Amino acid sequence: MERIAINPRNNWQAAVEKLGFGFHTTNVPYWDESACYRCTMEEILFIEKATAELWDLCLGAVQHVMDNDLYHRFAIPSDFIPYIERTWEEDHPALYGRLDLAYKDGELKLLEFNADTPTSLYEAGIVQWFWLQDFDKGKDQFNSIHEKLISCWRYLKSYLYAAPLHFTCVKQSLEDLTNTEYIRDCAMQAGLDTRLIFVDDIGWDQDAEVFVDMEEQPIRNIFKLYPWEWMINGDFGPNIIKDRNRTYWVEPGWKMILSNKAILPILWQLYPDCPYLLPAFFEEGHLNNYVKKPILSREGANIDIVRGGNRIHRTEGEYGKEGYIYQQLFDLPSFSGNYPVLGSWIIGQEPAGMGIRESRDLVTDNLSRFVPHYIG
Amino acid sequence: MKKTKHIELILITAVLAGCHRPNKEWQNGNKVYVRGDSTAPYSRVYHHSGPGLWYYAFRPYGYWYNGYYSRTGYYSGAISEVSNIGSNGLKSSVIRGGFGHGSFSVSS
Repeated sequence: MERIAINPRNNWQAAVEKLGFGFHTTNVPYWDESACYRCTMEEILFIEKATAELWDLCLGAVQHVMDNDLYHRFAIPSDFIPYIERTWEEDHPALYGRLDLAYKDGELKLLEFNADTPTSLYEAGIVQWFWLQDFDKGKDQFNSIHEKLISCWRYLKSYLYAAPLHFTCVKQSLEDLTNTEYIRDCAMQAGLDTRLIFVDDIGWDQDAEVFVDMEEQPIRNIFKLYPWEWMINGDFGPNIIKDRNRTYWVEPGWKMILSNKAILPILWQLYPDCPYLLPAFFEEGHLNNYVKKPILSREGANIDIVRGGNRIHRTEGEYGKEGYIYQQLFDLPSFSGNYPVLGSWIIGQEPAGMGIRESRDLVTDNLSRFVPHYIG
Repeated sequence: MKKTKHIELILITAVLAGCHRPNKEWQNGNKVYVRGDSTAPYSRVYHHSGPGLWYYAFRPYGYWYNGYYSRTGYYSGAISEVSNIGSNGLKSSVIRGGFGHGSFSVSS
């Protein structure tokens, strides 16, 4: 993999805004086409293969957590355990996830799995693909995200209730709205009848004990870009269990297990020979060089990096009260002080593409930049 | 082999690009109407302070007490009054606002 400095397109801001990509720059640039990554086809095939294998291992780990009643490791309230297991046993529809991987010197390692509310889908599936058309049409890209999203919705259609599919996210974020609307766009192209409702507008009919939309019509299928841990701790959390419609929430409840960093020590315990896993533990003391991560956190918050017993980096945040895990430190590759993390997408059950985010330090946080890639 | 061959967007560019107007159009509470067949319940769009795109169909109401904000309900001109949250007998049994308290981007 090689990082190449390039000239951004003239008026690239207008080019990406034409695609509906309105959050390319906040107080710092987020979309960055002053560089791109060139990957060989062998590297892409390797990433694709590892992604498929890791996905299989993750499913095995979910079953293991259920079989051995390890929910306390995940800070999952006991009230929700039967619900989570029902969504697993009944195979409730699941769409996607993003494995965050570090790649250096031919080694590929799982850093974490964003299995519930992964973002940067629009950048990976659409914006970087159109960038490639302008940069070099003849080049290839690890990217079949768009087709796979449509195809997956088409497949899931027969598993959903015969009712509209609602989509929800928070009101205050253009990034979340863009990702949600993009996924809804793909569902519409798959022939589904869709509705948008912001998450705080979702209604609960106290008499009928069902969730309703703004027209007070029942919500039976709903895609949410809103984390399960926030859902179950919201005022309506208990209603998810009471819901007489047994609404399909996409991603399904069992993703509470996979999206939690407690899955990392479980994976390591189950598959210590897997070349894509880093040693990870629930207890401190097994490792000299490690990253301490809250089991529930977002955007690289509350991370400690420890080397030789000394903390060398810390990020602030509000997470950690549910507990931490300790994962062996894997030095990200440095390209002139830029540290890339590969976001490898699973859509349906298949690897579907890749987005690269890079940071100026070892933690990929909300100041990281999305940098496009091509195969060549 | 890896590359998307053809991309068509039927919704997102229309809705989001349509919403992404220059700042001056958002000033002074100007209203912007987006495609009605896709986001019909959200056809009235208001700009509130803060960066980026904000739009509300429901306007929350509530009160501050002891340093904490408590949301008690929503007003919306887009739906029947009985659908707005509250406790009097004329209102329906639907309550809202049970998800999304203090929420921000889920970006991960």
